[in-house]
Amino acid sequence: MRLTTDLRGGRYNSRAMRSNTGNTPPALEAMKISRLYKSSGRGVSDVSLSVAPGEVFGLMGPNGSGKSTLLRVLSTAIPPDSGGFRVCGMDGLTQKRKVRASMGLMVDRPTHYDDLTGRANAYFFARSYGMEEAKAEGALAELFDYFDLAEYADDRVKTYSYGMGKKLALIEAMAHGPEVLLLDEPSLGLDYTSQLAYQGRIRDLADEGVAILLASNQVDEVESLCDRAAFLHRGKVVAEGTPEDLISRVEGVRRIVATLRNPVEYGSLTEVGGVQRVVPEGRDLIIHCEERPGIVADVVAGVVRSGGDIVNLSVQRPNLEDVFVQLTGEALKDEV
Amino acid sequence: MRFDPPDTYWKKDVALFFSRRFALILKMLYPIAIIVPVAASGMPAKYAAAVIGIVAVMAGTFGAGESLTVDLNDGILMRVALTPLSPYRLVFEILAVNAVLDLVQLLPALLIVYLLHPVPIVWMLAATITVFATLVTANCIGIFIANFTSSPADVLLYATAILFPLIYVSGFFRNQHPTGVLQTLRGFVPFSYTDDALKTVFGLTTGTTPLEIFIYPTIICAVLAFAVCLTAPRLLSQRL
Repeated sequence: MRLTTDLRGGRYNSRAMRSNTGNTPPALEAMKISRLYKSSGRGVSDVSLSVAPGEVFGLMGPNGSGKSTLLRVLSTAIPPDSGGFRVCGMDGLTQKRKVRASMGLMVDRPTHYDDLTGRANAYFFARSYGMEEAKAEGALAELFDYFDLAEYADDRVKTYSYGMGKKLALIEAMAHGPEVLLLDEPSLGLDYTSQLAYQGRIRDLADEGVAILLASNQVDEVESLCDRAAFLHRGKVVAEGTPEDLISRVEGVRRIVATLRNPVEYGSLTEVGGVQRVVPEGRDLIIHCEERPGIVADVVAGVVRSGGDIVNLSVQRPNLEDVFVQLTGEALKDEV
Repeated sequence: MRFDPPDTYWKKDVALFFSRRFALILKMLYPIAIIVPVAASGMPAKYAAAVIGIVAVMAGTFGAGESLTVDLNDGILMRVALTPLSPYRLVFEILAVNAVLDLVQLLPALLIVYLLHPVPIVWMLAATITVFATLVTANCIGIFIANFTSSPADVLLYATAILFPLIYVSGFFRNQHPTGVLQTLRGFVPFSYTDDALKTVFGLTTGTTPLEIFIYPTIICAVLAFAVCLTAPRLLSQRL
């Protein structure tokens, strides 16, 4: 086993330590799953993937690419039109209740019983998954403490913020010690500290052998957390591999991140030779461009011409989003 | 036995029922506010019985139908359905706890009725049991409706379509002395036994005996409950 550490974005990543999963039978295996919605014709088509015990698998794709549909099928919420899946060796179509018992689930829009306390909600779910009273109480106390929610555990959920609701959903997904975790946009809406806590927990669970499938468009999160990732585009898997492998497919692309003092109309930037697309993120303008001599100067000139007052500038290596753009010609996130 | 934190679906519903104090006060008071003035007035027995019967029918049907539809739309019921709990058990718990909680709301008003109109205890028992049977039936209808509805307004529409003929056949207002097919049909609707028991409480004599009231609605309710539990896989499936 290769033991290395990988530093990305300042965060410690023990991915390589978990990556020896080649000979282990998959904890989650999807085989040619197709599910198309009659109303829109969208969904997933012929999707196959597998997640080994201890592996974190990221599912990326723009809105409507089929991520949530795939998770709905794998969580047994909806049946596939064709294909099948196995969870811990159990058939996902014929052994639904056993499959559900072995899975932890966080849906994309978590809901709770608002008039019950956070603790009551989590306890109800823990017991519904068959946990004994004492074990449920112990596990929940530890998780509420870990996610910094202990202080609010006895408050009604209707008083919770969106992020607190997400943390409660994570607690509900993890409390019963599932062998497979399905998480849909788990970190969306979490504050920075909570994101770190959540990522730390995911790594711990993976180290304990839990297979984790997470659908996310948070590029940093997938790059730092996932052993492997797959891109979904219009319901099909268009690429799959380790984040490093996927990123290595992009050559000759750079991203220039310009932090501006003021918002500007940046449409003219796309006319600069070599600029592929421009995406605003808060005060940042992210310019995806070809790698060629002088392009940084041209982009800076373009921003200045647009009236932008640059307070910070960085040139970064490509990330998973660039891979997706190159593969599909579309962006992971909505762009202007 | 503790209800909060809840470890089962029905305990969760009990905890929710008692968690909203203002709503709880209203829930307990509204049957009293409607039924007691009727019982205390000199209203003809058949109409007094009809008012109580209608209150029970409406409380059961709309309570279950609307709360289920809201929970389904909200996604929380679907999340619960994705736990290893049996969907049939879940629907049975939903039915049972809703019917019992509805009875808890109606019971104070019924007790006042019995105080105002003393009858032999067997008739008090018969009336209480048949009101419960009506609540179970109404909740079955509410759960059945929730299989097809996407909003509380839908519940109102569907419930009206289903309840109107049943109320007619039961003889709450019209069809008081049915013959032929209507008489046969009336025997299959639990509401009609409620009507007969309550008419007796208010001093009218009907041809229905307490034994019939104990047995027939119980059997009909058991069949209805079984049937509505069979809708669990559809009811608890993802709405797309």
